Formats: sequence, structure tokens, C-alpha cells
Amino acid sequence: MPKQEFDVLIVGSGHSGGMAAQVLTQKGISCLMLDAGPEVNLATNRVSKNPWELPYRGMNKPGRLPHVVQANEFNANQWVDEKEIPYTHDPASPYNWVRVRLVGGRSLFWGRQSFRMSDWEFKSLDKEGVGDNWPISHADLDPFYSKVEGIFRVSGRKEGKAHFPDGNFLDADYGPDSTTVKKITEIAQGRGYLVSKIRASNGRNGQASSVNLLLPEAMATGKLQIVPNAIVRELTVDKNTGKVNGANFLDRHSKQELHVKARVVVLAAGSLESVRLLMNSGLANSSGMLGRYIIDQLYGVQVVASVPEARGGSAAEGLMGGTALLPRFRNLQKGEKNNFSKGYGMMIASGGAAQPGFFADYGESLQKKLDFHSGACMTASIYGERLPRFENHVRINKLVKDAWGIPVLHAEVKDSANEHNMAKDAADTAEDMLKAAGWDILSKTDKFHPPGYSIHEVGGARMGDDPKKSVLNKWNQSHDVKNLFQVDGGCFVTCGWQNTTLTMMALAMRSAEYLAEQMKTGVI
Amino acid sequence: MQAIAAAPAVPALVTPALVTQQNMQAQTAPARPAGPLASGKRDAVGEPVARFFSATQLAALHRLCELLMPPMGGNPGAIDAGVPEFLDFHVGQSPADRQQMYRSGLELLNSRSAAKFGKAFAALDATQADAIIRPLLVLVPWQFELPKEPGARFMAAAHDDIRVATRNSREWTQAAIAAGRRPVGAQLYFFPVDPVYKG
Repeated sequence: MPKQEFDVLIVGSGHSGGMAAQVLTQKGISCLMLDAGPEVNLATNRVSKNPWELPYRGMNKPGRLPHVVQANEFNANQWVDEKEIPYTHDPASPYNWVRVRLVGGRSLFWGRQSFRMSDWEFKSLDKEGVGDNWPISHADLDPFYSKVEGIFRVSGRKEGKAHFPDGNFLDADYGPDSTTVKKITEIAQGRGYLVSKIRASNGRNGQASSVNLLLPEAMATGKLQIVPNAIVRELTVDKNTGKVNGANFLDRHSKQELHVKARVVVLAAGSLESVRLLMNSGLANSSGMLGRYIIDQLYGVQVVASVPEARGGSAAEGLMGGTALLPRFRNLQKGEKNNFSKGYGMMIASGGAAQPGFFADYGESLQKKLDFHSGACMTASIYGERLPRFENHVRINKLVKDAWGIPVLHAEVKDSANEHNMAKDAADTAEDMLKAAGWDILSKTDKFHPPGYSIHEVGGARMGDDPKKSVLNKWNQSHDVKNLFQVDGGCFVTCGWQNTTLTMMALAMRSAEYLAEQMKTGVI
Repeated sequence: MQAIAAAPAVPALVTPALVTQQNMQAQTAPARPAGPLASGKRDAVGEPVARFFSATQLAALHRLCELLMPPMGGNPGAIDAGVPEFLDFHVGQSPADRQQMYRSGLELLNSRSAAKFGKAFAALDATQADAIIRPLLVLVPWQFELPKEPGARFMAAAHDDIRVATRNSREWTQAAIAAGRRPVGAQLYFFPVDPVYKG
């Protein structure tokens, strides 16, 4: 019996897929969403446990998730099993690909920090002579950012700075700054740095995910079907037109292969997973750029200082607590000289604890030191921007297949001197500011995690006006296959220092509105 | 397939004709309130059996646990929390490089103790043991990268493991409750979701 042909097939159900589904269905377009994982009920699928109630005393099964630094024994089941769906890399160049295969994807667990990108990111080449420009600017994305901020109920403090664009914010009640936050703010402002506050998606009922803010609205239209446990092996093509006409997918449990028909395909499986699917389908790569320019953000640099007046539990009320956010402050001025390009944001948190590794000691003597500094620490950490580079890429490794027989990705992504110099500058700058406040440095490191750790991996299908240099056009539409779109982070040309989710959703919304218009007018 | 299809249906174990007056009464007796049957806790009823480390290695680990994480502030120490035996299990389940790091590290404690004091690490008093431990303790400003020097690497890893395994123990929680403190460490455990069907 011939099956239904859907208007649009959406692969992936996270923030990007959910946004595309909401926009398209509300315009009357029938959508089928395939997700590789099962549906989860966060209310019933989690229960509070003590670490000693777990098989490995909360210390995880050794070797289970070697690339997921964020994994512990409590949350290990939420991440993709690396043995079931492996990927490869040179052992000397580690890459941490951190994945979730559940309906809702990583939107179920994200950190909710919600910053816009600015024209220092969208027009990187023009402003700084680094990398390439996106084919769009902040002005193009501004109305979509505003709508997404409304849906996700983003709170923030407006600053009126072009490099840290304001948005459609709920009023945020950050409370009065503690004395230590005021002090570090004065020091940073004295150096000409903007000091602001975290901007975050509040969501609703404790969640800011695709499954509570996007997909229910799409389902309410009666125009969306979501099929879980459907692993897309490859997109299929009409040999006469060269356009995609659907996909072959495998049932996660039985591995039975099925085909679904659609007039348009929208990929939203995550930057690298979508690229993998395109590569395994042999599509969208006339430019040779598919899989190239993989980027994410640099995390791990940390400096910790101890506030003398707060030691030994002696902190007066109002001395400690709260945070200060320093949006990127390097290389914003013309003529500024640094030994690296781009920049980093910095978070300084007041009131933390010291770590045992800060002291070469043990036993009671160590515990006395930890107790002495408990609650007295100021911790500076950074969000650094990695440079997009052609040689940083993923490709198919035909020698290794996942549990469903689908060839996996090989990641070849390395840091350059730019990242190392940036990390050193960040650590030195943080140390200098904390010392200037009169606080004692307990620990300083300019080391950082391997690429991928931030879980903000983007690129691999960069957008651009030139089909010879980019995979997607400015509407997230394939240059090669006009009824094929990729609306996740694959399109990013630069990654910025900012968390990427808000921008992904704004881009997905913009692309879906364009697609709906093209379908309405019959162009697609 | 045919043999299975032709086999007579298995009769129900209890048919109406077999119901006697006695089991009729049993069936109508008031049910006990439903409750969990598996109420025992593994760590509360069983003594761990160490199988991975040699006797001398385990003795060294035992002494290291005593010294690095003694009972403090009303909290149990690593020995009270069964950490040596737990780490014997945990390291025994680990990738080969972690196993080798531990074995070599414990042997290093013993060999340095023998060279300096003529006896095994487990037999050293606190002052003697300090002379062995201190040179291996280095600052670890970034917890995600252990020191490269093998001895320091072992000490940093073991120190962290011993502290975490102690604080994550049932004994630590019980001590906190007994002292009227709020136990720490409980988190939301995420169950496997719809595991792949195995047939």
C-alpha cells in the first residue's frame, strides 16, 4: 500500500528540529519527524539516589564513556553509548563528541545560557580580518532572536553594546551584588571591560527544551508525526530531478529498514550527525567543504583566588556570592595588539570552595586547608572562541560501523597556537585582576579541554553565498540540492565565545519561515 | 516449527476443579499491604572480597587509605568506608592503563619503603610513611590532567579516588544523618531509556 508522502521530513527533534517543526506546522505544512532515540519522561525516568546505592559508588563504570567528561554514574544513561555508536580520531588528537539520542536531544539537558552573537562573529573578516563573513548579519537575525527569546523566556540585563547585543528579555532579578563581585567589577571596568550578568532561558515549569516549548505547539496543529527509534541511514534521491525524495531509516530495536517519502528534507540531527548523514548519502558536497571548518569553544582555563576576609567561615553577610560575566573584551578595538585573534568571555563566581589538588597535602592537614578556604574562593573561568580552519574536519571512516551497520565519523580537529595563546592570556588576565583585588591565588591553569568538550560543536556545512566555498546558502538551504535544508549548528561560519543554542534556534526559525514561503509559492 | 505447533496446549496450573476449600480460604484471606520485597542493601549485608591486588599491594593500599583519608570531624575514614576493598573491585574493572598505574604505584610505595626503612609500606609508622608520600604529592591545578611523572600520577589519582569513594560511601551518609547533618551526594539517577531489544 503506498504510504503517505509528507511535505517535510525533519531528522532530529532537539532545539533546531523542534523549531523547524513548530514554524512549518503552524503554517499548515505536514511534517514527519524521525528521531534516532526513544521518548523519555523526565518525571518518571529519574529518581534520587545516594552514590553508594549505585553499582560503582557513584564513580561510574570504568572506561564506559571515555570522551564524555561530563558523564558520571548518575547521568551515564543519558549520553550516547560510545561502543554502540563509536567515532574515531587519532589518539594524539582527541576529540570529545558528546551526544544524546533521545526525543528532544540535547535540549533536555542544556545549560540554558542564552547569548546572541554579534557582528564581531557574523562579520569576522570585515571587522577583524579573521576567518570568513557569514552571509547574514545580526540585523538579519535580530527579529528571529527576539521571537526565540520570547518563546524561551530569556532573562538578561541590557547593556547597549554592539558586541553583546541586547534582546527581548524578561527582567532579571540578580539581586544586589556582593562586595567581592562589586570589587572585581570595578577592577574590570577600570580596564575598559564590560561587566554584565548571565542571560538565561527560563523556559516553563523548570524546563526549556524542545519537548516542552516547541514540539507540543507543533503537535497541536495536527500536522506533525514524531517517530522515535528511527535511525536514518541515508537520504534518497529522485534520479530524474536530483532532488531528495525521502530517507531510508532503521528501526532501533529490530534494525528493519523502511523508506519514507517527503517533498523536502530538513536535517536537524546535530552538526556532525547531519554531516555524517549527508556524507553517507553522497549529497551536498560539490564544494568539497562538507565536514570542513569544525569549531567549538575553548573551556577549562581556570584561576581560583581566596578572599582573606572570608576565610575560616568569617565572611560578613554580603561579602561573598553571585557572579560577574565579562563578555568578550579582547581584539574589539582597532589597533589592539595581542598574540591571538578573536577573544573570550569570562565568568567570575564568588563563594566557591578550594579543590584538594590546590594543595600538596593530605589527611587532617589537607582538610583543615579545605575548610579554611571553603566559601572564600573566587573562581574565574572562560569561554574562548576557537578559529575556524579548513584542516579541522570530519570524514567517514568506512572501516568502522555503528551497531546498525552505518559507517561512523573520523574527527581530525586540532588546536593551533591561537587557542593556546588565548588560553594563556585569559589565565594571566584573570590572575592579574584577582590579585589586583587583594586576593591570594590558590590555583591557576591555562590548560583546556580537547575540541568538542564544550558540546557546542558547529560547522561542517558552513553557509555562504559562494557555492564553491560553502555547503549551505544564507537560508540554510543546500546549494546543490534545493529541497534539502540543514538547520542545526552545521551552518556556522564562526562559533563566537557565546553559547550557540540561541543562535541555532533563531537560524532554524528563519530558515523554516523561508522554506514555508518557498513551498507556498511553489518555488520548492 | 511443526512440532511446536502440534504440541498440546499446556494446561493452566490451577483449574477451578482443583480448587479446594482450603485454598479457597487462602484466596479470600486479606492481602498483606504491598511493599518492596528487596529491602536489603548490598553493602549492609556483605563483606567485599578483594581479588585484584596482590596481598602486599592491598596492604599498601590499606595503609595509604588510613593516612590520606583518616576519620575526621565525626566522619568515617576510608578504612571505615571499605575503600581499599572497593578500589580493589573498581580498579579490577578498569582499563589496563589504570590497573597498571595502580599496581605500579603501590609497588613503588613498597620498594621505596624497603629501600628507606627496610620494611613494607604497610608496616611504616605515620612519620615514616610521610617521608614516602610527600615526595609524590604535587599540585594538581587542573583536575582533568594528572601529573605525567608516574609516581605523582598514581598518588594524585589514588588520593582523589580515596577521597571520593569515602565521601560516597554508605557509612559517610549514615554518619551525617547520625550527626544531624544533611547527607550530601544524592543526585537524580537517570534510568536507561527503552534499552535496545535483545530478543
